[in-house]
Amino acid sequence: MTRDTMIDGWYPVSLASQLDAHGRSTALMGEPIEVRRGEDGNAKVTGGNGRALPACIRYGHVWSSLGDPQKPLFAIPEADQPGRRLVDVGVVRVRCSPLRAVENFLDIAHFPFVHTDILGAEPHTEVQNYKVEIREDEDEVWATQVRFYQPQAAKSAEGGITTEYMYRVPAPTCSILYKTCPPRPGEWDVITLFVQPLAEDLCDVWPWMALFDDETPMTDLIHFQQTIFVQDRSILENQIPRLLPLDPGMEIPTRADLTSVAYRRWLKRHGYTYGAQLVAQ
Amino acid sequence: MPAQSPAGPVALWRTRSGRAAAFADRCPHRGMRLSHGFVRGETLSCIYHGWSYAQAGNCLRIPAHPALTPPDTIRVATQHVEDGGGIIWISVGEPAAPPPRFEGLAPLRSMVVEAGIVALEAAAGTRAAGGLLDYTHDDRAVRLLLAPEGQARTLMHVLADEDSNPGERIAASRAAESLRRVAEDIARGGIAR
Ligand code: FES
Ligand SMILES: [Fe+2]
Repeated sequence: MTRDTMIDGWYPVSLASQLDAHGRSTALMGEPIEVRRGEDGNAKVTGGNGRALPACIRYGHVWSSLGDPQKPLFAIPEADQPGRRLVDVGVVRVRCSPLRAVENFLDIAHFPFVHTDILGAEPHTEVQNYKVEIREDEDEVWATQVRFYQPQAAKSAEGGITTEYMYRVPAPTCSILYKTCPPRPGEWDVITLFVQPLAEDLCDVWPWMALFDDETPMTDLIHFQQTIFVQDRSILENQIPRLLPLDPGMEIPTRADLTSVAYRRWLKRHGYTYGAQLVAQ
Repeated sequence: MPAQSPAGPVALWRTRSGRAAAFADRCPHRGMRLSHGFVRGETLSCIYHGWSYAQAGNCLRIPAHPALTPPDTIRVATQHVEDGGGIIWISVGEPAAPPPRFEGLAPLRSMVVEAGIVALEAAAGTRAAGGLLDYTHDDRAVRLLLAPEGQARTLMHVLADEDSNPGERIAASRAAESLRRVAEDIARGGIAR
């Protein structure tokens, strides 16, 4: 078997706020790992055979890798902007491919059917044309000028509005969503999806947010996002095949799916295939 | 509703006007199980992005592109369905003959048995013929129609005498339940009572 290039990537393995000396047992790409706070206050991650793994703390989470990361963790400049509320949503375990979880996050056409009356509602089902590109310099997938009618786009939104989005995929199991921010026109709310691959068909999803919203109680913000992700889980656990098909022919994309098409192409190009299948089965 | 066929899982549904259909349980768009979908009028819609399909399996509507007429190539694999005598039959490929009719019998209920046909035969003390198993329990004869779902599971339909009264039907249903328990014990390698 060829070595999957995803082995050298960074993955979320815990909430930073829950890091303690006692430690948490979890897994990364099939290997059992331990995450704890060391004497020096830094995160310590150990692999199955006791070897020390790379670790860092960023964006509310502890990040680690089974391999040898060639790059530092991707940047989210907006996360350091003053005035934002940082929201640890917690974890949702999903029995699906980590790549399917990201692809679902990039998809807006399902809003009226899966997040009915929250992120979308019939008859507002049309997906307008938007722009998708693989930015070669950053080596990231971007979708911009994505617009969708939403009955209740965010906890702070009253009534329906057309929301504008941008999506960014800086790593195979992470995506960042920039979304119109109702209380602050001109700024973008940041909602991320950090996925920890436990196995090829099992993942822990760690959503995280950096919002301009001083009003909504924290528990409501967390509850809102958890509701959304639990709705997504009912889809993700029932897609066939479980692994993301990278070769065309197995599934039928349309114009609305151009982000997913670019994401799959980008994964294939890099050999990011943990949680993917190459041949139609 | 989800169902099993020798060709794999199927989504079994009925149009508003009452026609039954069996689809491969996988939406061609992004692979979502169609048995989670919803029926609107004469169509079945996928719960993920709402693509809707006619009884013949062709895609009629893609909500993300309301102005688009979906090409005929977008379709779900379907299986032949016969709906008669209170039983829905599906066939893999073109059926050579219509499904059997059970004169004088009415379907009572269906149950899943976690055992194969061999264990059911052992529990009943008789052999199944043509998918039918006759079982006598406390002097009461029950007829069971068996549909295997792999080696270790059987979907069992209980057929009762058309003229039986409610009390007799309850007794037939109980008899089938006791047969199920015995067959599952045998399948688990336990000792039948
Ligand atoms: S997966 Fe069925 S409509 Fe998209
Ligand atoms: Fe969703």
